[in-house]
Amino acid sequence: MAPTATAGHFSEGPAASSLRRFVKPEAFTGYFLISPAVFLMLVLLAYPFVLAVWISLTDRVLGEPGKFIGVRNFLKLLQDPLFLQTAWNSLVYTISTVCLKMILGISLAVLLNQDIPCRNLVRGAILLPWIVPTSLSVLTWLWMFDSLFSVVNYILLGVGLISKKIPWLGDPFWAMVAVVIVNTWRGLPFFAVSFLAGLMTIPKELYEAAETDGALRFRQFWHITLPLLQPVIAVVVLFSTIWTFADFQIVYILTHGGPINATQIFATMAYDVALVAGRIGEGSAISLFLFPALLVVIILMLRYLRKE
Amino acid sequence: MRHRTTAKRNAGRTITRRKFLGVTAGATAALSLGTFIRSGLGAARINVLTWSNTLNAMDDTLREQAKQYTKEKGVEVGFEFINQTDLPTKTAAAVESGAGPDIITLWSDGPHLHDKALIDVGDVAEPLGKDLKGWTNIAKDIAIVGKTWKAVPWGIIPICITYRSDWCKEVGYARFPDTYEEMLAMGKKLKDKGHPMGFALGRAIGDGNQSHYPMLWAFGGHECKADGKTVDINTPQTAKAVDYVRQLFKETETEDVLSWDDSSNNRAFLAEQVSVTGNASSIYWAEKKNAPQLRDVTDHALWPKGPAGRFGYSTAISLGIFRFSKVQKEAKAFISWLMHPKQYSAWIGVGEGMMAGLLNFYEDDPVWKKDPKLEVIREIPKYVRMPGYPGPPTRHAAESMVKYVVVNMFARACRGMSTADTVKQAESELKEIYSKA
Repeated sequence: MAPTATAGHFSEGPAASSLRRFVKPEAFTGYFLISPAVFLMLVLLAYPFVLAVWISLTDRVLGEPGKFIGVRNFLKLLQDPLFLQTAWNSLVYTISTVCLKMILGISLAVLLNQDIPCRNLVRGAILLPWIVPTSLSVLTWLWMFDSLFSVVNYILLGVGLISKKIPWLGDPFWAMVAVVIVNTWRGLPFFAVSFLAGLMTIPKELYEAAETDGALRFRQFWHITLPLLQPVIAVVVLFSTIWTFADFQIVYILTHGGPINATQIFATMAYDVALVAGRIGEGSAISLFLFPALLVVIILMLRYLRKE
Repeated sequence: MRHRTTAKRNAGRTITRRKFLGVTAGATAALSLGTFIRSGLGAARINVLTWSNTLNAMDDTLREQAKQYTKEKGVEVGFEFINQTDLPTKTAAAVESGAGPDIITLWSDGPHLHDKALIDVGDVAEPLGKDLKGWTNIAKDIAIVGKTWKAVPWGIIPICITYRSDWCKEVGYARFPDTYEEMLAMGKKLKDKGHPMGFALGRAIGDGNQSHYPMLWAFGGHECKADGKTVDINTPQTAKAVDYVRQLFKETETEDVLSWDDSSNNRAFLAEQVSVTGNASSIYWAEKKNAPQLRDVTDHALWPKGPAGRFGYSTAISLGIFRFSKVQKEAKAFISWLMHPKQYSAWIGVGEGMMAGLLNFYEDDPVWKKDPKLEVIREIPKYVRMPGYPGPPTRHAAESMVKYVVVNMFARACRGMSTADTVKQAESELKEIYSKA
């Protein structure tokens, strides 16, 4: 009878013992097991990133090697009025969309956490904007904001909320409002679903105890929901901030950065400068400009999370 | 007995490791051999990356011609058609990685932007010029970098005035006005009748730039001097152009133009919301299918004249061959064949005015006689200039165009900024761009 045949006693067999010999240096095995992931990270993330940093420090144009010019690209950008406008637009775009998504996301999550009719169906439907490919959904929005055939204007005029059609994509203010609306619509499901997952982990007993103590709904939300949801909020806001700063599709399809550069953001400007005008050194500098600031935000957020 | 037979049969069906390896190796060898034979025992294949034309018929003609070429010359040609807006990205990727198509379609200033990655094609362009009545001046501006032909000009997408002839007649104009002043006067009457004009002032990389550079030049304004380095936008001529565009916008156009992208004016014209716009013949072509009742009342005209003359800006396309191509000789032969009247006339013939040749020979192409409404388009190449005019189409000019410096200068004026301020802002943006190496 082969010793390995006994179920539950694999460690007794020769095959298992040779496996154990292999597994024994646990640290080595650990490194070995994560090596594919590390390799992928190095090849797909670290290498392009380091290359982008290097290119941003050169005066490279497409097809030419370029020479090292230090941080001159970054300094020159600071004197470029168009870049300063782009930086401002990016800040407005990111802060307003993240704030809107957070407020609406929490509200939606709280709502979806209640006993509402067809709860699962509604929860599934909420995810739709997140599932549909961005380029397709933004093309639909483009039609909805069209200067001639805007259904949004049609409805607003129809219900009497406005007396003159809104130049959604033709006016600097309204164009920014339009891209913020679409980004919020697109990102809201991620916020709502993440917050909903967080809400579902909060023990019901806490609310029951609060109710017994006479706490009203708002106080329950303020003293129980919000504090316990904080780690989720931090992670979601962190991710969304990074994604929104790097957003390209929504603005590119909807306004191309216009009108009069009113919605030009880092990614669209970097695309125009690097790929269309061929200045990839400067284009890389534009896309990496906020990296140090983002890095600080990421470190602070992660430290906060670890403490939590 | 029965058991034994079944076992035998099953044994025959069992796939052993040795059998598996043998079959796999055999299949791989057969497939490789097949591919090798299919490619004509290692014969060359030319890969062409180009834009997907608005008119599918033009792309279909190219596909047919590629097959024809393979039949005639034994060289396989593969066309890859992609969206026009994806071309810069794909070109950049090919230039940077040193791998990709053999022949690339370059947009307007492309030969100047990517000159280092392209080979000299003078031995294709010069003989074509000799055989076909010479190249137009704009063809040379586009494709010659320094003294070297870096691409073979394939044609322009001729941008002209597209207008409603019935509405113009209603306000007393049997023909489209020949000067900008007359166009302004007619536009006022049209707008009063509820038929505004519309020239894109939003982020329309094609229509916005193609409508407003000609206006700047017609009033004598330029973004830089002939040296292609010195910014020269802040002049009284530019100020006049800005004042004109502001007046044109306020008195003749629909406000929507501030948000228009490249497709907006097509939609507006087809929806009978505008009477006059700047566009290729694509509106006229689209009417065939979508609004046939408008074909009779739609016509084309040249851009009007200004104090400094008549100008136009149409996107030019050229064919370049990458340095890394392993079939450079074959690629040159194919381009030469493609530009030959037999192929070229067939191609622009199905285009119905969507493409005009830059070899003088094609000014008399039969396509211009097909429809009197398209005849005016044949003259467009004569008036076409590129951003950067009167200098060459440099990287700086390309950057100022993609940053919409000129279009935004006009758009700011239309939104209420003073002429002096908007020109000054454009000057500062241009100085920033032109100060780069």
